[in-house]
Amino acid sequence: MISDQLKGVILRELHLDDFPLTDQTLANEVPGWDSLSHVRILAAIEKEFAIRFKTLEVLRLKNVGELQLLVDKKLADQKTASK
Amino acid sequence: MLSSSMHFSPEERLSDRWRRHAAAFPQSVAVTHWVAGSKPVHWRWGELLCSAQNVAHWLSIQGVRPGQVCALILRHHPWFYPVYLGISLSGALPAVLAYPNARTHPDKFRQGLEGMARRSGLDWVLSERELEPIIRDLMLREGSTIQGLLFPLEFNMTTQTQPYMPLSPIASAESPCLLQHSSGTTGLQKAVVLSHRAVLGHIERYHRAIGLKADDKIVSWLPLYHDMGLIAAFHMALACAIPLIQLDPFEWVQAPVLLLEAVAHERATLTWLPNFAYHLMAERIHEEDLKGLRFDRMRMFINCSEPVRAEAHEKFLRRFGPYGVRAEMLAACYAMAETTFAVTQTIPGQPASQLTVDRSELACGRVRPTSPGPQSRVCVSSGFPIADCTVRVVNDQGEDLPDDQVGELVIRSASMFDGYRNYPEKTAEVLKDGWYYSGDYGFRHQGEYYVIGRKKDLIIVAGKNIYPEDIEDVINGVPGVIPGRVVAFGMDDLELGTEQVAVVVESEHHGTSRVAEIRRGVVQAGMEIGVTISAVYVVPPRWLIKSSAGKPSRKANRERVLNELKAQE
Repeated sequence: MISDQLKGVILRELHLDDFPLTDQTLANEVPGWDSLSHVRILAAIEKEFAIRFKTLEVLRLKNVGELQLLVDKKLADQKTASK
Repeated sequence: MLSSSMHFSPEERLSDRWRRHAAAFPQSVAVTHWVAGSKPVHWRWGELLCSAQNVAHWLSIQGVRPGQVCALILRHHPWFYPVYLGISLSGALPAVLAYPNARTHPDKFRQGLEGMARRSGLDWVLSERELEPIIRDLMLREGSTIQGLLFPLEFNMTTQTQPYMPLSPIASAESPCLLQHSSGTTGLQKAVVLSHRAVLGHIERYHRAIGLKADDKIVSWLPLYHDMGLIAAFHMALACAIPLIQLDPFEWVQAPVLLLEAVAHERATLTWLPNFAYHLMAERIHEEDLKGLRFDRMRMFINCSEPVRAEAHEKFLRRFGPYGVRAEMLAACYAMAETTFAVTQTIPGQPASQLTVDRSELACGRVRPTSPGPQSRVCVSSGFPIADCTVRVVNDQGEDLPDDQVGELVIRSASMFDGYRNYPEKTAEVLKDGWYYSGDYGFRHQGEYYVIGRKKDLIIVAGKNIYPEDIEDVINGVPGVIPGRVVAFGMDDLELGTEQVAVVVESEHHGTSRVAEIRRGVVQAGMEIGVTISAVYVVPPRWLIKSSAGKPSRKANRERVLNELKAQE
C-alpha cells in the first residue's frame, strides 16, 4: 500500500494531478517518470522523509511497492537508532 | 604500451591493431566491465581476442558473411566486448543500437527498427531472447532486410569448441568497418558508414589532440550507440591499448556516483561527459558516498555533445574541488558522427577558455566582450580544430564571417563521412563541396571555437538529440488534439544544465475538464517513442502563431509560451 505522503511527493515531482499508484506500479508506467526524473524523485523523497538511500538500494528497486518498503525500513531504522 | 603499439599505418585494419596488442601483451587489461556492487570483470587482451575469434567462427557458421551489417541490441553485459570484436574479425560490420527501455511501446520499437533496417540495411540482429517476439515478427514481414536473429549471449565463447580457423582477410583498410548512427529518434536516425582507415586515422589525430599517454585510463558510462561512447571511449581505448572501464549507462543515471567510484578505484585519467552530467553529479551525489574517493589523477573531464555551459563547470569544480578536481581538468570538445567524432578540442592541462559577452549583442550575431552582469553571457570554448580539420563560420549566404561574428559552423575534415547510408537526399542537404554544414551556430575568437546554439530546431535532452517533428507526428494522433496544430520545442532546464521538451497543442476542449486527459495522452504518446515531455500547454484553437508557410512556428510559439504561459506558472 502506497502512503499518501509518498504518493504526494512522486506526483508533485512529476507535475501530475493524480495517478493510481499501487505496489506493483513500475516507474515506466507513470507519465514522465524517466531516468532523469527518477533521480529527482528519489532526492525529493529523501528530503521529505529526512532519510538517505544508498547506491545499491536505489539500483535494486523494482517497483513503487519496493520503494515504499525501503522508505518504511529507513524510518523504522531511524526510530530504533534514536531510542 | 602506447608508444610501441600506436604506430599508425594507413593500410591497417582495426583487427590488425587488436591482434598486435594481443600478441604483444596478452596479460594486459583491455576492458574492465563495471557493475555496481559486483566485482569488475577484466578482459585481458589475450582472452578477449581468443573469445572474439570464437565468436567470429560461430558467426560464420551461422551464415554471417563479410560486409554484412550486424545490429547489436544488448544490455550491459561482460560478453558484449568479444561479440563486438568478433563481428569485426568475421569481416562483418557491427552497428550498436539502443536496447529499448521499458517505457518504449513494443509497436513503436518494432516500427523504429523496421525503419532503421530498411534505411541502414541491417542484415542480422544480435540480441537477447527477451526481444525475440518483436524482432522475429519483423523478420517475417515482406521486404525485410533482416535475414537472421542470433543470441550471442547463449553461445559459450570462452570455451573453444572449434579448431582455430584463420578467417580470410578480405577487407582492406578502405573497407567499411562499422556503422554508427547520427543522433535522432530511433527509426529516423541516419546511418554513417566508416572505414578502418577513417576510424584509425581519426583516432591517430584525436589522440594527439588530447595528448594520450601510455599510462592513461579511460572510464565511460556512455552508451555505445553514440559516437562519443563508441569512438572516443571504446575504439580509442582498443586501438591505442589504453584500458577502458565501461559502466552501464542505465545504472549511472540512477546512481551518478558510480562514475566517480570507478575513477577513484581504477585510477582513471580521462572521461567524456555531456553537459547535464556535470550538474547531475554535482547535485545528486551525497557527501558520505564520496568518503575516501580522490580524483587527483584525472587529466580531463571532457564536456561534449551538448552546448557547454560555464555553470556546469563551476558547479562541478565547487562540488568536487575538495576531492582533487582542478580547473585545468575541465576540458571541452566539439564532435559529431559525421566527422567520425571530434572537430575541435581544448588544450590538455588548461581549463576551457571562457569569454563573457554582451547577451543582446550576441543575439544580433556580434561578440562583444563585457564584464559579468545581468546582461552578460559566459561562453565556453570548445577549443581548436584537431589536425586535418578546418572550421569556417559562415552567414546564410554561405559567405565567410570574420572572428567574433556568429554564424553556422561548416567543417572539412580528413575524417569526414562519405554520406548517410541509403539517404542521398539528406546527404546533399548537409554535405556541399566537401564541407559539412553542421546546423550549429557559433563563433571564432582568437582561434578557438565557441558553439552557442543551433540553426535547426533540434532539442538536446541529456546529450540525446530529438527532432521536434518526431514528437509532433505522434501527438497529432492524440484524441482531443487538433491535428497539425502542435508544436514541440526545447526549454532550458537550468537546474539540470540541459533542455526539456515542451509541447503546445491546440484543442477545442481548452478550459474544460478534458484538459487533464489530453495532457496525459500527450505525455503518454511521447513515452511511446522514448521521449519525456516535461510541459504540456493546452491552448484554444488559433492560438499558435503561424510562420509565413502557414505552419505553426516553433520559435515564435516558444517565445509566446515563455512570455505568457510560463510567466503565469
